[in-house]
Amino acid sequence: MSAATSVLPAAAAPARRGPGLPLVALLILPIAAVNALGFLAPVLNLLRMSFYEAQATGAMAEVYTLATWATVFGDGFYLALILNSVGVSLAITLLTLACSYPIALYLHRASGTWRTLLLVLVISPLLTSAVVRTYGWIAILADQGLVNNALAAIGLSRTRLMFNLTGVIIGLTEILMPYMILALLAGFGRLDPRLEEAAATLGAPPCAVFRRVVLPLTLPGIALGSLLCFVLAVSSFITPKLLGGGRVFLLATEIYDQAIVTLNWPLAATLSILVLVVFGAALVLYTRALRAML
Amino acid sequence: MDERPIAPALKVLAALMFLFLLAPLVVVVPISFSGDRYMTFPPSSWSTQWYGAIFADGRMVGAFWTSLALAAVVTTLSLAIGLPAAYALVRLKPRGAELLGSLFTAALLLPTIVLGLAILIVFARFGLLATFPGLVAAHLVVTLPYALRVLSTALSTLPIAVEEAAATLGAPPLTVFRRVTLPMMRSGLIGTAALCFLVSFDEVVLSLFMTGPRIATLPVAMYHRVEQQADPLVAALSVLLVVLTLAVVLVVDRSAGLAKTFVK
Amino acid sequence: MTAGTGYLSLSGLTKRYGEFAAVDGLDLDVPRGELVAFLGPSGCGKTTSLRMIAGLVPATAGRIVVGGRELTEVPTHRRDMGLVFQSYALFPHMSVAKNVAFGLEMRRVSRGEIAARVREAIALVHLTGKEEHRPGQLSGGQQQRVALARALVIRPSILLLDEPLSNLDAKLRDEMRNEIRDIQRRLGITAIFVTHDQGEALTMCDKVAVMNAGRLEQTGTPVELYEHPRTAFVAGFVGRTNRLKAVARDGALELAGQRLAAPSGISGTVEVMIRPHRVALAADAAVVAPGHHGVAGTVARATFAGDILQYDVDVAGQIVSVEAATRGGERVLEPGRAVMLSWRPQDLFVYASAR
Repeated sequence: MSAATSVLPAAAAPARRGPGLPLVALLILPIAAVNALGFLAPVLNLLRMSFYEAQATGAMAEVYTLATWATVFGDGFYLALILNSVGVSLAITLLTLACSYPIALYLHRASGTWRTLLLVLVISPLLTSAVVRTYGWIAILADQGLVNNALAAIGLSRTRLMFNLTGVIIGLTEILMPYMILALLAGFGRLDPRLEEAAATLGAPPCAVFRRVVLPLTLPGIALGSLLCFVLAVSSFITPKLLGGGRVFLLATEIYDQAIVTLNWPLAATLSILVLVVFGAALVLYTRALRAML
Repeated sequence: MDERPIAPALKVLAALMFLFLLAPLVVVVPISFSGDRYMTFPPSSWSTQWYGAIFADGRMVGAFWTSLALAAVVTTLSLAIGLPAAYALVRLKPRGAELLGSLFTAALLLPTIVLGLAILIVFARFGLLATFPGLVAAHLVVTLPYALRVLSTALSTLPIAVEEAAATLGAPPLTVFRRVTLPMMRSGLIGTAALCFLVSFDEVVLSLFMTGPRIATLPVAMYHRVEQQADPLVAALSVLLVVLTLAVVLVVDRSAGLAKTFVK
Repeated sequence: MTAGTGYLSLSGLTKRYGEFAAVDGLDLDVPRGELVAFLGPSGCGKTTSLRMIAGLVPATAGRIVVGGRELTEVPTHRRDMGLVFQSYALFPHMSVAKNVAFGLEMRRVSRGEIAARVREAIALVHLTGKEEHRPGQLSGGQQQRVALARALVIRPSILLLDEPLSNLDAKLRDEMRNEIRDIQRRLGITAIFVTHDQGEALTMCDKVAVMNAGRLEQTGTPVELYEHPRTAFVAGFVGRTNRLKAVARDGALELAGQRLAAPSGISGTVEVMIRPHRVALAADAAVVAPGHHGVAGTVARATFAGDILQYDVDVAGQIVSVEAATRGGERVLEPGRAVMLSWRPQDLFVYASAR
């Protein structure tokens, strides 16, 4: 119901009307076709696929079986993989929040051209490929990279920052920051500087103002940003692949390997559905948390 | 508008975090001018050899042209398919328009890794893998929701009275659309085109599932290159890509206003 | 319903949205060359009626006939009406000249003639020299003139104006009011003017159709509406008025304990209305002209407003507002002072109570 036809209360469709249904059908036919063939059918097929049986050759028997599901839940490796992915994603979410909050708060208070410029700086990484940004992190974290060469220059020993979990966490944290900052900013609407001034006049020292006024008011933004980043962290795989160097195992990287390398599509499909289940759980937690806040 | 001072501690903290946020993009620039054979930072000598190396690398050049052609075709199709759909849903308001709108944008809610796998399995059966049409179709699945969303917003914010005025002056519906609606949607159309172009040109995950030895997009070629050897060639390429992105953004900003297109 | 006698003839025109009737059985005949106002509060159906005439809203029932041609099912772009929108609705991407030329291009008028007629229309609204400006570069009043020129240049069978003055400031509004009226007279064009401002309707239009809740309350000349309002709604909406409760019995009216002569045929609780400046106020109880109604009261509040002196008078618990032009030298009566109100019987309107 947007800027509708007129002055009148929006109500049931007018009795006499122009071109009507055939025209609508014609206009949405192309998008419906792309949607059906590129989205609906593949996703439904994915569900079906998880009940197929994989064979050593990579072929599939078109026989319905729970074998794949049994493997996933029976094998300690996959359970650990799921828990590990969730744990790492949570850690990344918290780090992203900690790094993004100061920027968001600063942007909320800044004004004028300066603010616009900084906002563009926040948005511009979103428009750059994840491959490019991950490459930048390789340049910083590699053995001959910025950090290690700097450490060596001041006489400290080099440390392994890449091809391990540390590198993946650092890289993903930075890559997800723009999403978190934008979500936080969207949620900062209720944060009126006069409230902080009021708290200060009532005798609250700065840290109490933050803890008792600023933080509670920004909780909805925090919840939204965290949901978004968690979901993106669970499903991202370019950065874990490149910065993890094949030594970091997460759900998303495993799905890719099973699909492209091992060609075990039923297993990849099953793991994909588990990713969606994790999403669902996160969404439920988010709505609960939001309701508790309001 | 009254200015309130920002606490120095917050300024310092925000500055540090900005540094962190921009570090990977900034660090790429000096490396691209490295004179070394391998990537080290800081480089021991300087040259423009890696920029030259890009153009000598047949695979990279081929991948660039593939990506460019792909993005151009995908952008054109996104507008051609998205515009009629947006018009139907916003202006003709069929029953269940909102439901259809959410269905047509639902693909964006799905993680690309899941979407990529789902498309891989179905497209494999139709022999669409590692083909240009297959890539176009896969990219359309993610660009069309953006196109539909931006175009619908652009359409619904147009003052409908202007179109009615054209009708009262004797313009039949198609003429109204061509002479009045389309020109007034100009900034929305440019924004949509830029967004679809960038999304398609930068898309990696779906493309990784869809490409093979026969055909690769630039981001996929870069991904494989980084996977094998993270040499300064990728840095030079990254700089060129950032410049290209900036150029697109500037064009959009000039003709449509960046804020209007991306923030909202 | 048969088609009426007017140039524009509406019969049984109805617009229903589900159960809600936005316009309910509108019958109206407008003779050629007249300017008729659709007057009413917001939501009364006046704009919907106008949009049905223009074909922008399909009618649920009823007929629209212009110059003997049935238009009810004709799409907007073939109706040949000029509509001036409240928001002006100029094409933002076209120059003033292009805006004005649009309707002529749609009619496939030759290039030379378009140029001449556009020049003429722009001169008519005093915008010569602004041809190449974009609408965004013009002031509100100038945009209004472009909208008027654009609607007139096609020589429409009917000119429709939808609250054309409501976005202008007061001074400009007076100016445009006279200008629109002059142009309409000079071109002899039949026009409908939608407004919620009774001042605009009374001063500009040949006839006024007062609408309320989707229905036509009364159609007439401004004088007829003001002097002989047929319903309480019209009396209240056109001009200012006092609304009082009274009881009608045996051909007499009991108001504030006094019996006044009243029109027969009404009995029970009634609503009576009297315009503030048609009430005479005297400090002396004896001064009631023969044949006039007289009612006693006490001053509740006195307000001196320069050109007028205004009293709120308490008449047995009901407040009657009284106004008189100042002539100099009056004494302002104090609150609490006993006064006598009087008026000519024909100035008192009596309506059966809305129930």
